[in-house]
Amino acid sequence: MKNNHVVKLAVAALFVAASMNAWSQSGQPASAAASVPGTSAMTASSAAAPATGRKADRALRRKVYAAIGKQKDISAGNISVTAKDGAITLNGSVTDASQVDKVAEIAKGVPGVTSVTNKLTVKKPFGGM
Amino acid sequence: MKLKSCCAATLAIFATAAHAQSSVTLYGVIDTGMLYQSTSAATFQPHAPNLGHVYQLKDGGIYASFWGIKGSEDIGGGYKVNFKLQGVFNSTNGKFGLADTPGTTAIFNQFATIGVSGPFGTFDAGRQIIPMIYAMAETDVRGAQYFGSILTAWLGVNQAAGWPGTSTNAPIGALYDSNALVYNSPKFYGASVALEYAPGGVAGQFQGGTRESAVLKYSNYGLNLSAVYYNGHDTNPFPLTYPAAPAVPATGLANNRFYYFGAMYTISGFSISASYGIGKNPAKSNTADFEMASGGLGYQFNPRFKITSGYYYLKDRNNSANHSSEFAIGAEYNLSQRTKAYAQVGYVDNHGTMNQTIIYGAPVAPGESTTAAMIGIRHTF
Repeated sequence: MKNNHVVKLAVAALFVAASMNAWSQSGQPASAAASVPGTSAMTASSAAAPATGRKADRALRRKVYAAIGKQKDISAGNISVTAKDGAITLNGSVTDASQVDKVAEIAKGVPGVTSVTNKLTVKKPFGGM
Repeated sequence: MKLKSCCAATLAIFATAAHAQSSVTLYGVIDTGMLYQSTSAATFQPHAPNLGHVYQLKDGGIYASFWGIKGSEDIGGGYKVNFKLQGVFNSTNGKFGLADTPGTTAIFNQFATIGVSGPFGTFDAGRQIIPMIYAMAETDVRGAQYFGSILTAWLGVNQAAGWPGTSTNAPIGALYDSNALVYNSPKFYGASVALEYAPGGVAGQFQGGTRESAVLKYSNYGLNLSAVYYNGHDTNPFPLTYPAAPAVPATGLANNRFYYFGAMYTISGFSISASYGIGKNPAKSNTADFEMASGGLGYQFNPRFKITSGYYYLKDRNNSANHSSEFAIGAEYNLSQRTKAYAQVGYVDNHGTMNQTIIYGAPVAPGESTTAAMIGIRHTF
């Protein structure tokens, strides 16, 4: 009975995760979608070949920034995001050690991102902690 | 059985105590290095004699050594009650940092605040580092650190405006304000606002000793933008010769105004910054009216190693003979998560009565060029 409950919760969580994924996907610009014709929105994020070209790189970079910018406690102004054919490189700084991995996780969760190279460092804000 | 229930009761008490006080943290930093400087002076007097080169153990190569206690309690509904007590100390002699009044120190000279945070943003009351300093630090590649940065440039303006350097009550802008009420908004697409009001508490003078400031910030897409407005009444009432000469009584006179605009952009390993500021005494702009401008460039080679550099220019708008140019470059190497080693070199060319320092707490001879170099270590605990 208890196990059943856990499974139910897990399924619910999966649904929520999937729906969130689909939601952020809908924000994808037309240019990126057009470069992978014939693939559904869901598979574009993982299975299909990444969108290429400078235009697609710029669009992906913007999407990663938009995702990081949603975090109230992270200043995306101190973070450099560069994109190359689905490969994201993170540079710059965050204010707390826990945010280094958090930003990388956020970037990985953006549809179209195939890999994340994380070079973020920790820089405490003025006045310390 | 009795013992068991007793233990259970104790545990329960501890458990509730732990729940009510979500977290209390004791923390701090010790930052010590060896400093060489080619000129020095005993005071910030505009014609202070050059006492010659100096070689010393120096606190705060990057920022001051400090310690503090902070905590927050989750009161539900997304709201937290926060407190912070934090003060600098001099790692070379153990003394506490400056307070508002010359000749005195304060245990918690950086923060003594209680406040609330929630969906509306954060609100803190008490002595604290005020928003304008964060706005400047976030638009300076050197991060407003103690050695050659936007902080020493801004302090250079204060020294030129008559700040004796013996209290934290400055004539142009402020690093710390006592009695401050500060509101920070949440970020909205990277944009945020910070507002400060500090009642002066001067009897019979509503405007006496008050401070008000506003900061607009944007932080997203690798770009930080800051705009600062600061206005103070009856600031820096202590003459250079205090206490021989008495403090000026508070009358509500607006005598401290500072404007600042800055930008910093981070792309790949590079950071680049630029800023412009004006500081003056609006009541007597013929005695204090200054301009400051900066440029910065840094490169992060890998997560352990970075180099930052900055150029800082100060100008007296009342007397073109008084101007100052400073260049500083520093390398930081992270030995571990909590310890970094650093080496930095600075050069300042002061003209007229300008005495922009290379590092906070080590006055240079006015009107001369000075070189300084420092190596040190900074450990966080």
